[in-house]
Amino acid sequence: MTSSPTLAAATTPPPAAAGPLAARAVGLRKTFGSTVAVDGVDLDVPAGSVLGMLGPNGSGKTTLIRMLLGLTRADAGTAELLGHPVPDGAARALPHVGALVEGPGFHPFLSGRENLLRVAATEPLLGAREIAGAVDAALDRVGLADAAGRRFRGYSLGMKQRLGLAGALLLPRRLVVLDEPTNGLDPAGTRDVRRIIAELHDGGATVIVSSHLLAEVEATCTHVAVLQSGSLVAAGGLAALLESGTGGLDVVTPDVDLALETLRAAGIAAYSAPGDEPGVVVGEDGPPTAETVALLVRAGVAVQEARRRRARLEELFARLTEETS
Amino acid sequence: MTTAPVLDPVSDAPRAAPLGRLLAAELRWVLRRPRTLVMLGLFALIPVLISIGVATAGATGRGPGLVSAVAGNGLVLPIVALTLSMALLLPLAVAMAAADAIAGESAHGTLRGLLLSPVSRLRLVVMKAFGVLVVATLATVVVAAVGVLAGLVVVGGADGQLVTLSGTALGPGAALLRVGLVVVFVVGQLAAVGAVALAVSSVTDHPLVVLASVLGALIVFGVLSAIPALEWLQPWLLTSGWTAGVDALRDPLPLGGMIESSLRALCYVAVGMGLTTYRMLRRDA
Amino acid sequence: MVGLGLLAVPTGAGAAPVLPPVTPEELVASVLTADPDAFAGTVEVDNSLGLPPLPDVPQAGDGTSTARVWSDGEDGGRVQLPTADGEKTFVSDGTTFWAYDSQGRTVTEGTGADRPARPDAADPAAAATEAIRMLQSSSTVTVDGTAEVAGRPAYELVLSPAPDERTLLREVRIAVDAEQRVPLRMTVLATGSSDPALQVGFTELAFGPQDPALFTFTPPPGSTVVEPDAERPEGLPERPGTAPTVVGDGWDTVVLATVPATGEGEGTGMDLRALGTPVSGPWGSGTLIGTAVANAIVTDDGRVAVGAVPEQVLTEALAR
Repeated sequence: MTSSPTLAAATTPPPAAAGPLAARAVGLRKTFGSTVAVDGVDLDVPAGSVLGMLGPNGSGKTTLIRMLLGLTRADAGTAELLGHPVPDGAARALPHVGALVEGPGFHPFLSGRENLLRVAATEPLLGAREIAGAVDAALDRVGLADAAGRRFRGYSLGMKQRLGLAGALLLPRRLVVLDEPTNGLDPAGTRDVRRIIAELHDGGATVIVSSHLLAEVEATCTHVAVLQSGSLVAAGGLAALLESGTGGLDVVTPDVDLALETLRAAGIAAYSAPGDEPGVVVGEDGPPTAETVALLVRAGVAVQEARRRRARLEELFARLTEETS
Repeated sequence: MTTAPVLDPVSDAPRAAPLGRLLAAELRWVLRRPRTLVMLGLFALIPVLISIGVATAGATGRGPGLVSAVAGNGLVLPIVALTLSMALLLPLAVAMAAADAIAGESAHGTLRGLLLSPVSRLRLVVMKAFGVLVVATLATVVVAAVGVLAGLVVVGGADGQLVTLSGTALGPGAALLRVGLVVVFVVGQLAAVGAVALAVSSVTDHPLVVLASVLGALIVFGVLSAIPALEWLQPWLLTSGWTAGVDALRDPLPLGGMIESSLRALCYVAVGMGLTTYRMLRRDA
Repeated sequence: MVGLGLLAVPTGAGAAPVLPPVTPEELVASVLTADPDAFAGTVEVDNSLGLPPLPDVPQAGDGTSTARVWSDGEDGGRVQLPTADGEKTFVSDGTTFWAYDSQGRTVTEGTGADRPARPDAADPAAAATEAIRMLQSSSTVTVDGTAEVAGRPAYELVLSPAPDERTLLREVRIAVDAEQRVPLRMTVLATGSSDPALQVGFTELAFGPQDPALFTFTPPPGSTVVEPDAERPEGLPERPGTAPTVVGDGWDTVVLATVPATGEGEGTGMDLRALGTPVSGPWGSGTLIGTAVANAIVTDDGRVAVGAVPEQVLTEALAR
């Protein structure tokens, strides 16, 4: 859970609007009849980030994604994709965008490969001679190479999902949008999706993943956006979000008294840890972890372990969505 | 963390897959669709069935009706078969193709994929119109070609000639030209049906709605054209010129009816494609 | 939609052309002596006579039908009457005539005197010239402006019955081609109605040399050639044994004929009584069949009187 790269990222949260943005929504709003699906959402997706879009069913995740991709016209507000306005500039941005939205859409009477060949034929950035190779590579990447000749009709839910993923990965993309990518996937499939997201991230691509599986988002994302009833209730770096408001640093040490004395002398709120393990808890408004630990060690406190006290994403999510509902 | 450039003036130029490739993909898709193939097979049966019916009914054509004109006069068969198919089956086949083209793709979620590739919405309309036109042409050509074969083999020609309704005899070359003319005429009429069906297809996600609309329109047009008090409506009804293909069996060839019907079909094509384009530029996918 | 609207506008509805004035006498004389060039044309018959459609002649029923007409400028002529699923073709080269019916694929071939009634009604030129010849002496003839028919400028010749004529007709209007002096359109108007009871006119007409092959006919393979007076294959009634007699002249002409008693053999397949009303008088009894422009009485003993006249004129003719 608390792998060090995430911690490192957490210590330097990227400022929301400072860097280049892979996608941006300003005041996006969409109503269907009297239902407000998305209500004035402002969202920045930094380039190179992996943004997890969270929200209960019907919170507007898919509608927001569809507006960002130009599939649905917004009633109000503007959207940008790779720096181009959507939908008017979508033709410039979309060739560099791979997307799996609202489930895999394929023709049942065609084989997996034939379906992908049809999609690949419409990809502007694929040369005529690259099509076959790109299709095979994508099938291989999602583990469908063996089933490529079978009709889509006979695919299991997981295989259909993999094929949809392959469609988004036909060529190197700058932005990949995956709407519920692990739907219907078995644990192995879910791991594959995680691996693919990580590969995309390592390659410098931006990824937007919508999911209702919090653990998955927590495992793969650098940024989170939480939607509730069409409104954005939280957005930002994952680590920063998790730390904000839940705070605290657990320090395991036998020298509880010395530690408390040292910290309080430095003006840092602290109290002895409840429970069996001897230690202290540093208040949430304390200095960064490294600074606190250094202070304690200099004072001669034997620090056995120091860990940021973190809320699980699940708690955060529950708190965010309960607060607003 | 390496960050890909977000705005790249060079590679961000608007791009599109070559139109030829899109049309080829559409063609492949249309021809791989099982129902297209089944439908073409059924259309091949129509002239065969007529020819068997005529051959068993006796060699001498006596009595009213177009079908009796086929007896002992095989080269008439393709034109008669096309005219009969025009009443219902060919328009329905085209409506089915148009239904699959947009409403069906939307229902399968594949329309989204095309738009995300991206295929511009205008090109999508071109692609879909092309696919429907291909189905219309194939179905027409199948009826005509099988009609010529069945006419010559099963019915037998009048000394290899086509006896027109006006009592003249045309040689095989002239007869085939007439058949070709009717094929072009019928494809033009079907294009009008297809354009309107595409317009319906562009507003719905349910392919059956398209089929039902076209079937309903055919019935309504049929009823309207049967009411004498509404005779002034005739020039507006697409169906009122659908029997003009029979004119190819008259000599000298009167082109007036077919030209008028074709102009009317052109108006329907313009309106249908206009509505389709208008709708597709705005449609959610 | 605009295009559809254009299609719907009837052709030839342009403004009246300006033509040098002509007196009715000059016009009539020029029509009767006209020697039109070869032409090809399409004729539309607008029929509101109120007759029931006959099984063999759908053109007789109310409605619009077309005919295609060719002339070589001499004696050769060709008329084709298309129907939805067939065609009747009449060809003459001046000496031999042929009639082809696509339904039975029968060719009737004959010469000169055997010539069967050509469908002159389908040829406005022939029909109108005949009407002028017949009605001229008992009519008031005027020229009522000009018109455009089939894209050609024409004078409107109007024949109205003289006051002492007893007829159902108000007038007959004939559009005469300004150049060729051939009638282009004939309109029959009945008293008490502003809509034409019958209108026969060219919708397309082109003068010019015609393919000589149009005026001869070779029976196609698979067709049956019959003699004009041989038994008709479709069970039509034979022609009346006695020639029809004509009573009166001009507008109140009555044609008297006899028909074989109906109900014998195949017959016409129609009960005349169902079409008309029973009438009787000193001349006997029979059935009156009336339309807007003509009346007919079929007597029970097989006589027929027909004319564009009131019933009384018919009974007077029968009583002779």
